Amino acid sequence: MHINYVRGFKENRLGRLGIIFLALILSIAFLAPVLTAYSPRQVSENIFQPPSQKHWLGTNDLGQDIWSRVIFGARTSFITALSVGILTVTLAVFIGCSAALLRGIYERFVLRLIDIFLIIPNILLLLLTAAYLRPGPVTMVIVLSIFNWPGCARIIRAQTLTLQEKSHIKAAKTFGAGTFYILVKHIIPDLGPILASSFIAHARRAVFMEAGLAFLGISDPLLISWGTIINRALQYSYLNNWYWLLPPALGLSLTVMAFSFLGYTLEEILNPRLKVGKNAGD
Amino acid sequence: MLEIKDLTITYGRNTVIKELNLTVPKGDVLAVIGESGAGKTTLALSLMGLCPGNVEGQIIYQGVDFLSLPEPQRRLLRWNKVSMVFQDLNRSFNPVMTVLEQIMEPMLEHELLSRKEAQKKAYYLLNKVGLAPVKGQMYPHQLSGGEKQRALIAMALTNDPEVLILDEPTAALDGLTKAKICELLKEVFSEKTVVLVTHDLSTAYQLANRVAVLYQGRIMELGLTKDILKNPRHPYTRGLVRSFPTLDATKDLQGIPGFGIEKQEGCVFANRCTQRIADCTKIIPKLEKRGEREIACLRGGVVNLLKVEDLTKVYSGVTALKGVSLDIEEGETVAVVGESGSGKTTLALCLMGLEKANQGSIYFQGEKIVKWNKEFYQKVQMIFQNPQDCISHRLNVLETVCEPLVIQKLGTPEERIHKAKKALRDVELPDEDEFLNRYAHHLSGGELQRLAIARALVLEPKLLIADEPTSALDASIQAKIMRLIMDLQEKRGLSILFITHDLALARKVSDRVFVLKDGQVVERGLSTQIFSLPQHPYTRKLLQATANFSDF
Repeated sequence: MHINYVRGFKENRLGRLGIIFLALILSIAFLAPVLTAYSPRQVSENIFQPPSQKHWLGTNDLGQDIWSRVIFGARTSFITALSVGILTVTLAVFIGCSAALLRGIYERFVLRLIDIFLIIPNILLLLLTAAYLRPGPVTMVIVLSIFNWPGCARIIRAQTLTLQEKSHIKAAKTFGAGTFYILVKHIIPDLGPILASSFIAHARRAVFMEAGLAFLGISDPLLISWGTIINRALQYSYLNNWYWLLPPALGLSLTVMAFSFLGYTLEEILNPRLKVGKNAGD
Repeated sequence: MLEIKDLTITYGRNTVIKELNLTVPKGDVLAVIGESGAGKTTLALSLMGLCPGNVEGQIIYQGVDFLSLPEPQRRLLRWNKVSMVFQDLNRSFNPVMTVLEQIMEPMLEHELLSRKEAQKKAYYLLNKVGLAPVKGQMYPHQLSGGEKQRALIAMALTNDPEVLILDEPTAALDGLTKAKICELLKEVFSEKTVVLVTHDLSTAYQLANRVAVLYQGRIMELGLTKDILKNPRHPYTRGLVRSFPTLDATKDLQGIPGFGIEKQEGCVFANRCTQRIADCTKIIPKLEKRGEREIACLRGGVVNLLKVEDLTKVYSGVTALKGVSLDIEEGETVAVVGESGSGKTTLALCLMGLEKANQGSIYFQGEKIVKWNKEFYQKVQMIFQNPQDCISHRLNVLETVCEPLVIQKLGTPEERIHKAKKALRDVELPDEDEFLNRYAHHLSGGELQRLAIARALVLEPKLLIADEPTSALDASIQAKIMRLIMDLQEKRGLSILFITHDLALARKVSDRVFVLKDGQVVERGLSTQIFSLPQHPYTRKLLQATANFSDF
């Protein structure tokens, strides 16, 4: 099973779309300082301005430039997504693989722990924890990751168990390889596809959750986040401020869509049976 | 009674016979076997006092040291007490004398009989060796090879010697003539002390009751003919037996690697021996008694490599192995045969430590294996059943072959590449960069299997556990791969546990066979026996279902 990711994404319409969206938002986030003349935090006397030449999306209740806040919000979104993705997957690999490799009581303990995490409605728990901790960006990432790893770890454990039965891993054992070598050189690389799709799934979730928590106000109020912008905009919705409300919502949807499309495409590449058309079973 | 004590013979600087001790009791037929150049003819000639080299030591006939006697007294003994059948048929006759005259010559020379009596006895002897009287009037060149051989035997018998020395009496004869000569010799040998020098193991087997295996002027193994030729215990004897074609041998011919070196420290066979240890090139092994026979080997002969006792493996209620015991010697192929589901692969996995047996013990080189560690895996390697699965799709050819070396932390990166390339060449795969950079899915089934074998061999293991190594391949590639593995056995003394369902293949490559049925060994033994005379009904059934082109 050798996967050509580049070709896979090229041939898939959703995949191409996902990449375009992602590239668009990424470049906006990356080039944010160049794309605006205003600092997103700079307070001015020009409050509640409608869109104009000066302020493309007008200003908010504090006279801050909404366009600047939206594009800088993309940064927050992305950093959270990446960090949560990486942290979740790392935690899941560590716990899932160790459970599969060490077996015994440890594995049983991990599995029960995962069950506990999965049966508790985690949005509720997340809200409570977040509210209790009053999180800044770092705590936010940690909390999100802690609630995300169990599902992922369960998949990774199962996959590791399957991989261990593969001949090439047994062969490596017969060369005298230790558990660590097998984990690093064989199992983790072989988990690649699963790690990639888990990463995307959790990044997408993180974008949504971060915005959601910010919207609910359980976040650092000073953090420039799409959730906070939407929250503020809604408070002044009687002003008919679509230019304030829509852009962050659009950014959010675009990001989530980009990740979703990437996820679908990846799934199709990895599971050729889902592929429709000429190259099925390639 | 013939006794040889500390016999050393040198030609110039070459020592051909080295401190040789040998006793041939009265009525005994001792065959001296070995490759050409082992010193067999020199030994035979020295027994007649005819060796042109510098002879030291003692050769005692009936209490008299033949070598210390002056030449006139030796001549009295020669042909009266000791006579010889020389090796070269054509050069042993005087071309201008008739056969009869030559048979009479020793009698007349020693003035034992009158001319008339001598003639009478010569005719009697001609008759005894099965030659018509008319042949006696002929000149040697008028006789056929078999007839010359008979005439030579008659010549040796003229003075009724007590000790008979025969140097290659059956070499260069066709099979039927050989059989007849052997019949004749059997009759002739009665009550005589015989030293039979030959490289023909079947002649030795038929005529001699004891065998001495001579190599580079030293005796390697000495004992009863049946024991030694059917179950050789010295690596050199085993090599001789393996390279000798017989009808009942099923395994393909294998030679002995390398050539003899005349001057070397320690054991004379050390440079060609596949089981040598450091001491072998330092200490000269003495001929020591091991059971019924005597062996000159520091390691006590062929060593046991792997021993399995009473191995039992149960998978959630299903018994895959029931008290399996087997053993593998150095340089030996042991085939484990049986249908699928008989526990063959489980056995391999248990031996490799990939499955934990519920019961039983495994010994490697005499030590019980408790933990399968790196040292063990350096010496024991496995070829897995399916090459497609056992090679990671993420590693290219070079990385695949280097992986065992990397894991074992052997050598520098350059040395690893060098070793890997050598292993690839050994299995007849290319070692060019273009090939080294390919991935498993770019290779054909045959190439993959050879790659898997190269990877298993890169550590230069002593034991190879091959689980159906060729079941996925077509016959021509299978033939190449099996030849390759057998070559390695010849060169390195690789022991092979060959797991297969293909009995025809097992027959060609194995020394011994274990037949596995429902996790139990139902029959075990030498391949020569099992394939010709299977005892267990299951073995017979398996054999009946084996590939053949016969019409019956």
